[in-house]
Amino acid sequence: MMPPPQLQARVGSKGSAILAFEDVSKRYGPVHALDGVSLTVNRGEVVCLIGPSGSGKSTLLRCANALETLEGGRVLFDGAEVRASDPANARKVRQRMGMVFQNFELFPHLTALRNVTIGLTTVLKLDAAAAEDRARKLLAKVGLSDKAAANPAMLSGGQQQRVAIARALAMEPDLMLFDEPTSALDPETIGEVLSVMKALADEGMTMVVVTHEMDFARRVGDWVVVFDKGRVIEEGSPKQIFEAATVERTREFLGHLGWHGESNIEAVAAAKPARS
Amino acid sequence: MNFDWDVVWTSLPRLLQGAEMTLWLAVVTMALAIPGGLVLAFMRLSGIRAFAFAATCFVEFFRATPLILQIYWVYYVLPAYFDIQFSQLSTAILGLTCNVSAFNSETFRSGIVSIRAGQWNAGRAIGMADGQIMWYIVLPQAVMRVLPALASTWVSLFKDTSLVSIISVADLSYVSLKIRSETYRILEVLSALAAIYWLMGYPQAKFVDWLHRRYKVAE
Repeated sequence: MMPPPQLQARVGSKGSAILAFEDVSKRYGPVHALDGVSLTVNRGEVVCLIGPSGSGKSTLLRCANALETLEGGRVLFDGAEVRASDPANARKVRQRMGMVFQNFELFPHLTALRNVTIGLTTVLKLDAAAAEDRARKLLAKVGLSDKAAANPAMLSGGQQQRVAIARALAMEPDLMLFDEPTSALDPETIGEVLSVMKALADEGMTMVVVTHEMDFARRVGDWVVVFDKGRVIEEGSPKQIFEAATVERTREFLGHLGWHGESNIEAVAAAKPARS
Repeated sequence: MNFDWDVVWTSLPRLLQGAEMTLWLAVVTMALAIPGGLVLAFMRLSGIRAFAFAATCFVEFFRATPLILQIYWVYYVLPAYFDIQFSQLSTAILGLTCNVSAFNSETFRSGIVSIRAGQWNAGRAIGMADGQIMWYIVLPQAVMRVLPALASTWVSLFKDTSLVSIISVADLSYVSLKIRSETYRILEVLSALAAIYWLMGYPQAKFVDWLHRRYKVAE
């Protein structure tokens, strides 16, 4: 097995590091969910995490906002260590990091509007009018102005996920984490969620996206990180990963998804010097 | 055999007073046993071992012993050995509340733990504290889910209030038994008692059935 790749300066970097994982390890019983993962996310960047199911991508996201405790290594957010064992610290970090879940996790007993305002009134202590004002703007932004009064059960999966995005954005986060945001969706509603995410990326939002949507990773991602068995096996620009992956396992994974790119011998050889 | 139903009609004002007391006992008990059950449930779920242990002992004692014994115990044992004396009415409320709180705590607890972990994570992800998540997110959903069970407890409570007649609280049963011993009209009085309980209890039971249908589908 090859050693985990070292941190490297990246070509397409837009800003300074906002989130850094340093040799992060996480176990569930005997299973190494994360086995010494190091990774940097820079401001304004869209970083896509790809790889087989159970390879540790989602776990890494959960470590970022202190939903998991670590067995080793550390996570730095804006230069300060994220400490899951310190509830006050964890809450501060989470307020500045939006998270979108695979299963939406909207609050089913609240309307779409209340789903968005609940964090504003309870965490940011905004008054009801200011919270509603902000929430309506965000629902408009995700194209759901007319669904403010709807309960989650009345919305399609794509609509629910867009409400969830609005809920996360309402806290005005510095960074958005997306955990397979389209994996639980019907094919016909995937597009509406991806286009909201694309618009967000175009505005310059820093995003970490765990996804199986290779097309999204290729077009919208600034940096692509490939996971396998709890390790980062390869990272690079979308062009590099999708057209000239150097690691056999990466090509195999992309091949399983029906993605063959241009991973011929010459492209691999050409890409190699750029990584060293 | 000849019946004298007049005794029922002439006693009706007293019976209705008794019915009023029965209803009042049930309402006051439930009003106390809902917060009581919540506190016990929170103690058991708190993760603080001493709290969890104390609450568990309380719940398991009151669930596993007969209510009639609990009422007697409060009424006779507390004053005799601990020098704590309650009025009959306070004793009745205390005994019923302890008992129903124990049942409610298990109901609330099962509702709370049935809410999936993702809801906690979603609340945490927007920076909410665990207490806020419990209050605004988990508890409202848990209560909706256990509403039918709470309603069933209510119907049982409504009937169980009759046990307080043993310590001379003037509820419907006590009043009826008293009228019976005054008039010796056993069949008439007990039939009237049954009719009044039924007239009050049946709509409640139907309401519980409706709740079960209404909230059967989770999410």
